[in-house]
Amino acid sequence: MTRKRWAIALMVVLLLSAVFGCSQPGGEPQDEGAEPAEAEGPQFDGEMLIGIMVPITGSEATYGKDMENAIRIAVGEINAAGGILGKEVKLTVGDDGCDPQMCTAAASKLVSSDVVAVLGGYCSGATIPALKIYGDAKVPFVILAANSTQIIDENPGWAFMINSPGFHQANAAADSFENLDVSKLALVHQGDGFSENLAELTRDEWEGRGHEVVAYDVVNKGEQDFSSLVTKIRSSDAEGVYWTAYHADGALLIRQLRQGGYTGEIVVADGSSSVQLLEIAGSAGEGVYCTSPPVVDFLPAAKEFIAKYNAEYGQQPGPYAGLSYDGTYLLAEAIEKAGSTDPDAIKDALAATNEFETLSGTITFTDENILAESNFIIIKGEGGNWVLAE
Amino acid sequence: MSFQEIFIQQLFNGLLLGSFYGLVALGYSMVYGIIKLLNFAHGDIYMVGGFCSLSLLAFFGRTFIGNGWLGIIAAMLITMIIVGMLGVIIERVAYKPLREAPRLSLLITALGVSMVLYNSVMVITGGEYRAYGTGLGYEGFAIGSVFITHTQAILIVAAVALMLILHLFITRTMYGKAMRAISMDRDCCRLMGVNVNKIIALTFFVGSTLAASAGMMAGVYYGSLHFFMGFVIGIKAFTAAVIGGIGIIPGAMLGGLLLGLLESFGTQIPFIGSEWKDVFSFSILILILIFKPTGLLGKKESERM
Repeated sequence: MTRKRWAIALMVVLLLSAVFGCSQPGGEPQDEGAEPAEAEGPQFDGEMLIGIMVPITGSEATYGKDMENAIRIAVGEINAAGGILGKEVKLTVGDDGCDPQMCTAAASKLVSSDVVAVLGGYCSGATIPALKIYGDAKVPFVILAANSTQIIDENPGWAFMINSPGFHQANAAADSFENLDVSKLALVHQGDGFSENLAELTRDEWEGRGHEVVAYDVVNKGEQDFSSLVTKIRSSDAEGVYWTAYHADGALLIRQLRQGGYTGEIVVADGSSSVQLLEIAGSAGEGVYCTSPPVVDFLPAAKEFIAKYNAEYGQQPGPYAGLSYDGTYLLAEAIEKAGSTDPDAIKDALAATNEFETLSGTITFTDENILAESNFIIIKGEGGNWVLAE
Repeated sequence: MSFQEIFIQQLFNGLLLGSFYGLVALGYSMVYGIIKLLNFAHGDIYMVGGFCSLSLLAFFGRTFIGNGWLGIIAAMLITMIIVGMLGVIIERVAYKPLREAPRLSLLITALGVSMVLYNSVMVITGGEYRAYGTGLGYEGFAIGSVFITHTQAILIVAAVALMLILHLFITRTMYGKAMRAISMDRDCCRLMGVNVNKIIALTFFVGSTLAASAGMMAGVYYGSLHFFMGFVIGIKAFTAAVIGGIGIIPGAMLGGLLLGLLESFGTQIPFIGSEWKDVFSFSILILILIFKPTGLLGKKESERM
């Protein structure tokens, strides 16, 4: 009897919790996010609202939050120095959630709050739908991280990408192999879209520069034994190997290349820039190079920024913090140059950006509003850590 | 590298890969031979062996034993015992209650055990790749441009030694004789006074021990471990066991070495990328099975029915 009673009690509890669970309000309004202005400091002649569109919720929230933090640091500095055009910069956040639908909503919200310009764009998929919205509303949009080539195709002219699109990495890789005096190159990818595409681009680039690709191969995911591939690479007399895929298998390949007696150069792509690669590769990882996006850890100019970020948020800046900081300064500079908040003037000023110095290198835009030169940096494995090469 | 040098290098690479497959295949084959169970958890035993030895080695690295060869041998012995016991426990908890049940139930249980093992390790390790740090370097010897490190050479010798010891154990001891007898007729053995439960437990112990040693060797050789690493090798070792004739001990070794060599030479065919090596090796294996359906060393008749 007691058991039956318990079962009924349990059912009632479950029912009640279901009812309460459903009746909770769905989706609270997003906090505007702008921090109150400091009381002291320079006198401002009004305010200027700039939008941030990054993922604040969802699986990519860490990166979005990191970008927002970096933007806030830059804006804090800009305001302390008198703001833009004498106006105090205020920020408002739209959460794209790394989701195309949320992105559309976030972009519409920012547009209707009359922002002067928008900074952001982490996931390419949640950046592309916003391009048209900002274009129609004439809002300049500085894309900080997203770098799909699709953005270039669908850009109505109002978006500016400050991160190198993927094909720039092939140039960076070719440059570094040329610097290492390699002429016979072996390319290894993992058969997935990203690494295969990069291997193809690098092959075309390398052959276009008049060098030779002596081996072009693929390893199957989940496979541990690459000894046959190593024999192939050694018998092809390759002087350099470029691994375009990810760190776990990259580390295995590096180890087995050295175990197999390969003595040439090894370069890995940004998917392998994790320090775990060096940990697994052990002594074989010494002297391995990596084509990496401009992560602040390796940028000598970013020391002050890292210290500030640490002090403010009690953590290390993430992979796109540097670019976010740079993008904010780029936009501020363009609005100053435009002399007003007129969208066309700002857009023209952004497009005319020439050799603008940032933490991650100089920014010059092409006609397609992408970086004229790759912003990839070359890092090198030394003592179990990545350090900036050269 | 000349053609001969490539051949010798690949022969060596294939032997090393094949001895890993062989060691794992032995456990598959022994268990199948004795209770007709395809123990799909066997690949995960291999993986647990790798992680277990990594913890031991990390511990020894901080003591006077160090993580060089001395530490590796000590860790290997302890790992083999611990993981062997794990195999016995798995048999006792998961398989023994189902021994008289239909074979499909047993098969599903084996899949369940596999999931329990790799999910537990996933939770413990956070699903990350773990670096397998040893004190070994990359020194080796070169014959022409064939290059073999000391580690590789020692691993092959160790694997072959383990296989030989197993072979002697099966053919020369009473326990081995009992195992062979049970695989022929379990009920009859019981009537003859053989302690069937004990021998089956022993079979799991020995099989798991070999898989654990292979897992550790793979860690030492490849330098990294992952909770899902048992899956691919489990399938390949199973294939090796079938090719050699499942249930037959020398067949598992032969099948393992054959598969390793096929994969190793399969990548060297001109104009075909490495991604086709599995297609190549499995095509050959299918051909073998068409002509010898019971495997290379399999006998034609079966004693049941």
